[in-house]
Amino acid sequence: MGFRTRQIHAGVTPDPTTGAILTPIYQSTTFVQPSVDEYLSKGFSYSRSGNPTVRALEAKLADLEGGADCATFGTGMSAVTATMLAFLNAGDHAIISDVAYGGTYRLCTKVLSRFGIDFTFADGSNNDDVAASVRGNTALILTETPANPTMKCSDIAAISEIAKKAGAVHAVDNTFLTPYYQRPFELGADLSIHSTTKYMDGHNATVGGAVISRTPELAAKVKFIQNSTGSIMSPQVAWLTLQGCKTLSVRMDQQSANAMAIAEYLEAHPKVAQVAYPGLKSFAQHELSSRQASGYGAMLWFEVKGGVAAGKKLMDNIEVWTLAENLGSVESLITHPVTMTHADVEEAERKRVGIIDGLVRLSVGLEDVEDLIGALDNALQQV
Amino acid sequence: MSDFFNFDTLSLHAGQTIDKEFGARATPIYQTTSFVFPDTDTASSIFNLERGGHAYSRITNPTVSVLEQRIAALEGGSAAVCTASGMAATFCAITAILSQGDHIVASSQMYGGNISLMKNTLPRFGITTTFVDPTDIGGFRDAVEENTRLIYGELIGNPGLDILDLEAIAEIAAASRIPFMVDATFNTPYLCRCLDYGANMTIHSVTKWLGGHGTAIGGVVVDGGNFDWGAAGKYPTITEPYAPFQGINLWEEFGPSAFATRIRAEAMRDFGPSMAPMTAFLLLQGIETLSLRMEKHHSNTEQMLEFLSNHDQVSWVNHPSLPSHPSHALARKYLPKGAGSIVSFGVNGGREAGKAFIENVQLASHLANVGDAKTLIIHPASTTHSRIDAEALVAAGISEDMIRLSVGLEDIRDLKADFETGFRAAKRAADA
Repeated sequence: MGFRTRQIHAGVTPDPTTGAILTPIYQSTTFVQPSVDEYLSKGFSYSRSGNPTVRALEAKLADLEGGADCATFGTGMSAVTATMLAFLNAGDHAIISDVAYGGTYRLCTKVLSRFGIDFTFADGSNNDDVAASVRGNTALILTETPANPTMKCSDIAAISEIAKKAGAVHAVDNTFLTPYYQRPFELGADLSIHSTTKYMDGHNATVGGAVISRTPELAAKVKFIQNSTGSIMSPQVAWLTLQGCKTLSVRMDQQSANAMAIAEYLEAHPKVAQVAYPGLKSFAQHELSSRQASGYGAMLWFEVKGGVAAGKKLMDNIEVWTLAENLGSVESLITHPVTMTHADVEEAERKRVGIIDGLVRLSVGLEDVEDLIGALDNALQQV
Repeated sequence: MSDFFNFDTLSLHAGQTIDKEFGARATPIYQTTSFVFPDTDTASSIFNLERGGHAYSRITNPTVSVLEQRIAALEGGSAAVCTASGMAATFCAITAILSQGDHIVASSQMYGGNISLMKNTLPRFGITTTFVDPTDIGGFRDAVEENTRLIYGELIGNPGLDILDLEAIAEIAAASRIPFMVDATFNTPYLCRCLDYGANMTIHSVTKWLGGHGTAIGGVVVDGGNFDWGAAGKYPTITEPYAPFQGINLWEEFGPSAFATRIRAEAMRDFGPSMAPMTAFLLLQGIETLSLRMEKHHSNTEQMLEFLSNHDQVSWVNHPSLPSHPSHALARKYLPKGAGSIVSFGVNGGREAGKAFIENVQLASHLANVGDAKTLIIHPASTTHSRIDAEALVAAGISEDMIRLSVGLEDIRDLKADFETGFRAAKRAADA
């Protein structure tokens, strides 16, 4: 069955008791067992270990990614944390894309480093740099493609090959493109990570995360951490996310079309120094993006001539666009990574990976593209 | 299970059968519009009321059904229908049996929404109401006319807190073969099961003490199953063929739950004020602690009454549990566990003092709801009735110095301390 059919039906069957067309919200801590001998015969004991509403979402996401199974989490960060805890032990080494989300960088350098895990931040857009970072004890390679906010892409197939040789697990943060546009398992990756907060939900209603595993063995390791550390997704969040997933392709297509039009508009604007959007022919990795994904997504960044002062002026004066963190929802958002999402990354590290001070990040939503461009146009005039 | 378990057990278990698929201990929230039919025969039999089952959440929903059955069990009724608000419950209950040209005899001391419905809205559809002082039993008998089809009242009246003599009114209603409907919001089935005293149906704003946490708006109509619609012979909506369902006769088919079925088949289908599944879930959770909360509401109310009765800044205190209250004997009869947690009292110094009191208490929330776990207060003369002159206030049973208090579950020592602050401010305003 096609993606659009599966995004609606996968994981969800009408409730056998009442016929309810939607999965009920099982807002219940515990599940009554028919007898001692039949313990777990219906599949559920306690909602930390598993919940029917949450399982429906996990089944849907596993299906959409083409994976063996999925584990969901309270946030995208807890999904990343669970991935690291599942595949890294004290004394192990992990290679992390140097342009990973600021929160991931903070988790590695300030938290997991305390437990004897070594990290190398490699340029995920440079296969040789990743290969050169491999050590004898490398157990995990984590890439994010396109990366937040630089939009740098990693070659999923090539890095999966490197990971395979190193005996390491390759986890791809697939939040920006979702399985609708990019399916890491078809390119050889082992895990796909999502902040479901973004395009899966799509409406700024929930925070959540997911890890989809290519094989049952990998899934069992993630599931063990999910249950042991207990950073679970709630039934309410799972239910809302289940609804969001049903319009994933429609939103992605429209938001991406809007992003393309905005990128082209900005590229032609005299006050804009540069634009980074994988769909533009001028984008350094346009060829790679076209090869490994079927769409370019709805995230982009640009630099206003005049640096930080000009960028701030633009963001403070813009209408329609909302100055807020988060991304991927139907509302268009504008962000200044240096002061907002990536404030925890040291300045030298930011500069090294390309998060320049004047970088303005756009998460393009579902509004009329004429209104979005009109608002940018007005704001640019005031710069 | 309704007749075999006691109240507290029912408040936890009635209406819920453990989820068949996974055994979920809590009631699943069926947040769905529709239900998939196994086959067309089943579909048509559900639509024709030939069998139970869920089709569309405006009519029935499994989560809402649990709440309906739980409240019916607590009230000792035959069935219940939940609605989007308490007012929707009253409206649906009345319109299920009354039509153009029909007449209601109702207590004059009721929630303002009920009064307005009967005084202003229902007359537009040809349904008129005669209001009678709830303490005037003879007045009820005299007000019944040839076209009277309903007697309606609240057990604990508003705002005077007069107690309706249920048995006396029920006797008048029974003699004329007219059903007696009681808005039991202020008492809940914990304090009094009105059906046991001859009422034929009850209404609740579940928003109030039943839900108890100020989180969700909802209403319910409980069918007592104890009114003989056939013998009365003047309720065509119940006893005559109902065209939309192939001429079904609800009284013959559903007997003691014919009234509830009419509400389901007509009001929920045609007016559509259905309760949301999430609301039902929240209200169900509230009912699980109904007894515990009501006990605490009443122990706090008793202590608050003692505190207010002995306070220099208080000119009068009104509550049916006080021997000075005209309904004290009726309160002891119908409400032996407590006469509700609504108290009204006067602040020395009139309108300005009352206003100063309200503005200077901090723990008690200044708002228009009642029955929350939190203590709520309002000064009717400066808020809900601020545009009314002193004379009209008296006619409405409200004095300028009156404070209405819904006693919550806080530590009574903290409430008293909070009120002391308010009274000091009231004294300053009165002295100024």
